[in-house]
Amino acid sequence: MNVPALLEIEDLHVSYGRIRAVQGVSLTVPDAAIVALIGANGAGKSTLLRAISGIVRPRRGAVRFLGEDLVGLPVHQIARRHVIHVPEGRGMLARMTVLENLRLGGFARSGHASTALELDRVFALFPVLSQRRGQLAGSLSGGEQQMLAIARGMMARPRLLMLDEPSLGLAPLLVREIFRIIPRLTAEGTAVLLVEQNARMALQCAAHAYVLQTGRVVLSGPAADLLATPEVQRAYLGAG
Amino acid sequence: MPDLAFLAFLVVDGALAGAIYALAALAFVVVYKASRMINFAVGEWIMLASRMVASGLHGLGFGLGGALGLACVGMVALAMAFNRVVLRRLFGQSLLSSIMVTIGLGILLRGSAAIVFAGIPPRITSPVPLEPLVIRGVPVSIDKLVAAMIAGACIIGLGWFFHGSRTGLALRAIAIDQQVAMAVGIDLHRHFAIAWALVGVLSVLAGTLGSVVLGGGFGIGLLGLKVFPIVIVGGLDSLLGTIVGALVIGILESLTAGYIDPLVGGGFSHVASYVVLIATLLVRPYGLFGRPDVERV
Repeated sequence: MNVPALLEIEDLHVSYGRIRAVQGVSLTVPDAAIVALIGANGAGKSTLLRAISGIVRPRRGAVRFLGEDLVGLPVHQIARRHVIHVPEGRGMLARMTVLENLRLGGFARSGHASTALELDRVFALFPVLSQRRGQLAGSLSGGEQQMLAIARGMMARPRLLMLDEPSLGLAPLLVREIFRIIPRLTAEGTAVLLVEQNARMALQCAAHAYVLQTGRVVLSGPAADLLATPEVQRAYLGAG
Repeated sequence: MPDLAFLAFLVVDGALAGAIYALAALAFVVVYKASRMINFAVGEWIMLASRMVASGLHGLGFGLGGALGLACVGMVALAMAFNRVVLRRLFGQSLLSSIMVTIGLGILLRGSAAIVFAGIPPRITSPVPLEPLVIRGVPVSIDKLVAAMIAGACIIGLGWFFHGSRTGLALRAIAIDQQVAMAVGIDLHRHFAIAWALVGVLSVLAGTLGSVVLGGGFGIGLLGLKVFPIVIVGGLDSLLGTIVGALVIGILESLTAGYIDPLVGGGFSHVASYVVLIATLLVRPYGLFGRPDVERV
């Protein structure tokens, strides 16, 4: 089987000073697929996303997106290639309205004629945001803010959307709501690279998964297989 | 003049001057909002702009429109060059170095303007009649009124730019969080350049209106000194606050000039705004309209 890869990371190394956060990670995200990245705190998951989106510069390795190496490109240039990072903590502009936040999300697309179209599409995915469009983002509940963060990412019509801990700090009901929406994003032609502490939810919705430990990939494979692996169950799913 | 008419005259006169101060203060706020940078040279920018307009009028024999256009081109070019050659290199370093650089640039501008524009009269005269209008016994100078109206129109235009345009939205996003702005695909350096170009244009407007109303020459650079009380009172990053702050300072100066200066022998009006500045810093350090930084933990 030869699925053309959307994102191909090869032997990536990232250091913060003398701390080696990511040590030789290689991974692949196929087009319009969900790939989960699980692992304990400090395993290097967020760092990997930051390296892809250009916030930190890797020490070595390649990040190939549709065949082009993204390493060294400025952050806004990477966003303009429709590689969108929704950071942990959501990165909302609390003092702006929901609508303004969404409009900002559309910045990565060139031209702005279709912003209204894009808004309709995003409001269809997140009807609650449509009701709140005039409200300040800071006044939304945690779950609504997370939806706004994902919606803002979707405004760019991303080819690759990187979600960092979308379930963080949310009540179980809202976590389920978020995980119900994520698979619908791929129907729009968006691939999702999902970083999660909630390994069970992540593995249930992803096609493929990688397990990171101290900056290295220790396990990878189809998500369903990982879900059944005793090591994964013991370490990340709280079984046995 | 009866007492009440005198009071009304002082308030109106101060408010009209305040409208021009507001333009000068906005030239400061635009850059502060986008990059948290304090431009200590704002007075020199305004001075230079007004000298460029005067040179267009007296040196090159242009009409007012041509002189304004020339000064806009000159000031925007200076702004772009300053942003590109100096500030871009300092990006990512301590903000303090950028701020110190503006002080250096201010000194450079003051010194070189004296040489470059030597022999060219600095005055810019108003094309409207100077006879004051008298409304219910209160004299209102027409040139100040026209200048204030132009300033008001520019401020409304600027407000639309920030709140109604795509570029304005990007500038506001940069002001709130540069990381987020980059993550949605905004080119920071391009927008810093736009902010500085705005400073250039606002300097031309403030310098020209200021010269017509308050007198030209190097004294116009003193407008820069009014900016600090205004932005401290108004809160450094609020457009509305800046406008209110400018009106407050304008009226305050006018009132102290009318009532207190005759008692103490003059000059107190220039100090009064700084008294307010210090009082504001003691009571509401983030300004009347500024927001205290609240971190959600």
